Amino acid sequence: MNRTLIDLKASFKMFYRSRTALFWTFAFPCIMIVLFGAIFSGSSTKYDLYIQNQDMVNGNLTALSKGFVDALNLTGAFNIYDLDRTVNATRYAIDHKLSYMIVIPLGFQNNTQQALFPGSALNSTIPFIYDQSQTSAIVVMGIVNGVVNKMNQAYAQQGVLHDYVVVKGETIAPKRLSFMDFFIPGVLGMTAMTSSIFAAVEISGRYRETGIFHKLATTPLKRIEWIFSRTIYQIVICFIGMALIIGIGIAFFNIKVIPDPLSLILVATTSMTFSGFGMILSRFVKDPEAAGAAANAITFPMMFLSGTFIPLEQMPEFLRAIATVLPLTYVNNGLRATMILGETQQAIANVIIIAVLGVTLLLVGAWITKWEEE
Amino acid sequence: MTKNQTAIEVNSLVKKYCNLTAVDSISFNVKKGEIFAFLGPNGAGKTTTVEILECIRKPTSGKAVVLGFDILKDEEEIKKRIGVLPQDFNTFARLTVKENIEYFAGMFGSSVDADSLIKLVDLEDKRNEQYRKLSGGLKQRLGVAIALVNDPEILFLDEPTAGLDPKARHEVWDAILGLKQKGKTIFLTTHYMEEAEILADTVTIIHKGKIVADGTPQKLIERHGKLSLLILKKTDKAAIPLIETLGLTAQYDKETRDVKVTLNHANSISEVVRALCTKQIDFGELQLKKSTLEDVFLNLTGEKLKEEEAS
Repeated sequence: MNRTLIDLKASFKMFYRSRTALFWTFAFPCIMIVLFGAIFSGSSTKYDLYIQNQDMVNGNLTALSKGFVDALNLTGAFNIYDLDRTVNATRYAIDHKLSYMIVIPLGFQNNTQQALFPGSALNSTIPFIYDQSQTSAIVVMGIVNGVVNKMNQAYAQQGVLHDYVVVKGETIAPKRLSFMDFFIPGVLGMTAMTSSIFAAVEISGRYRETGIFHKLATTPLKRIEWIFSRTIYQIVICFIGMALIIGIGIAFFNIKVIPDPLSLILVATTSMTFSGFGMILSRFVKDPEAAGAAANAITFPMMFLSGTFIPLEQMPEFLRAIATVLPLTYVNNGLRATMILGETQQAIANVIIIAVLGVTLLLVGAWITKWEEE
Repeated sequence: MTKNQTAIEVNSLVKKYCNLTAVDSISFNVKKGEIFAFLGPNGAGKTTTVEILECIRKPTSGKAVVLGFDILKDEEEIKKRIGVLPQDFNTFARLTVKENIEYFAGMFGSSVDADSLIKLVDLEDKRNEQYRKLSGGLKQRLGVAIALVNDPEILFLDEPTAGLDPKARHEVWDAILGLKQKGKTIFLTTHYMEEAEILADTVTIIHKGKIVADGTPQKLIERHGKLSLLILKKTDKAAIPLIETLGLTAQYDKETRDVKVTLNHANSISEVVRALCTKQIDFGELQLKKSTLEDVFLNLTGEKLKEEEAS
């Protein structure tokens, strides 16, 4: 055990001193989250806003509803699209994955005029249909509220200050995941996979080529002690990466993901799976550079086919069939199930698959990794 | 030789890889406190033999005992008592000199003072330098220090100066001679005959997996070396028949116009010079080339020991 701890300490020291390793393990996934987040979580200055204006009198839109749409347009914050009055607005928002929309109800002008009568306690409501998991929806709701408040202030000059018009939020059910909620567990799985497989390939290849394995073989250090140390080291590195990725997600994208025991077990077993895989790979592809290229050839397509970036449901059927045989699919599904959806049963099923795979691959990897070639 | 004076005993050791016999039934002994040089060209079976003695390879057959322990049964006991500088030694690039020593000391559970080893191999200025920043000679010296972390009774140094420049090679030789003075037994494998001649008490020559000769460097040269060579610079070809009448063999080099005479006894030089003077055959300078282990190897195997010449 003492020898394992000495090796572990030395491994962390060397990792800390390698800027390249630090960058690819920690900085790269963080940069990727920020870049993807900026692209996909709607941080542009103009928002697409669908408005369904139902407020008609004698076949014509009311003056107040048109004025309200014009006021929204004047903010310069929106690209406004008119939604057909005959469709169900909520259904449309769900089907078309809209994060928010406004419905100006029939009688909006009439209700507002009634609310303006002195002594009236009535108000006129504008439903704001939105997905509560989307930060952009909250931003848009704030802008719409700003316009409505201006209207209320203008009406107040004619009477008492009162909320004549109210924006009423209506969340879209069922809850839909934001891109970042979907993306963060994918990045966690991807990072655990790449850092573990490349570390195993790189260390096995380099130690064999440079003769460090040979030197270690002349000491009382046992191969199993060394592999145990490497496994613990890699799991800790994955946990540090996980903390950083979730930290970035919380700080920049307001994600509500908290690592739970199942997600920690899943990340640890993912690390074991791909460490074992890397050991096996470097046993058969002895040239370290070729082994690195082989690891790339395996992990790169896996990232795209296992639902890291794109939900599996959005992929063609034949790609979904391929995904079922890729370990990263189960890692991603398991992490999303436990961290985002709260579906414990589904998460446990994925954890079991990866744990069995992880233990098996690690044992095979440990068994076939030789310090000396015969 | 009594048992307790023997550090290593090897009997009929064989190592085969598929159809290749890397080590072919070799036997030899290494005395405690000596520098034992295992000399042979690349691929002769030196490293395979040394790795069997270090317990990191299993022999196909035969027996070897290191410090009284059987290599097949007492691997742990042997590993505790030996130090190894492998061929093409390398260690952790991003650990410093001191950290590398401490790492390996930890592997042996040794409480050795890293600073004393650093001083021993004269790396005090580089104590906190990372391994990757050291020059070739300094890296090898660190390798020697690491091989000493468990205060071993035997040190295995496998080609310790291969690829080093002459200055670095001499630095490593000094370190090795210093260790001998401390009473360590040193098992040195090398393909540099000069290294074996300078450092070794005993030399064993291995060729194609078989031992072809052993003894002290001097005895090997006496027994198997060619006789010394006398070179007569820029000499007339007419000297050849004259020298042959003295019972000596001589060759004429057309390019250099040198006459090379193989001497067979101590008086040969004066006989050759006297004969040339008598016949008034002019010659330039005289050169006397002594026989070396290189000649011994050439004589025994018909092959050159190495392509690269040690400095």
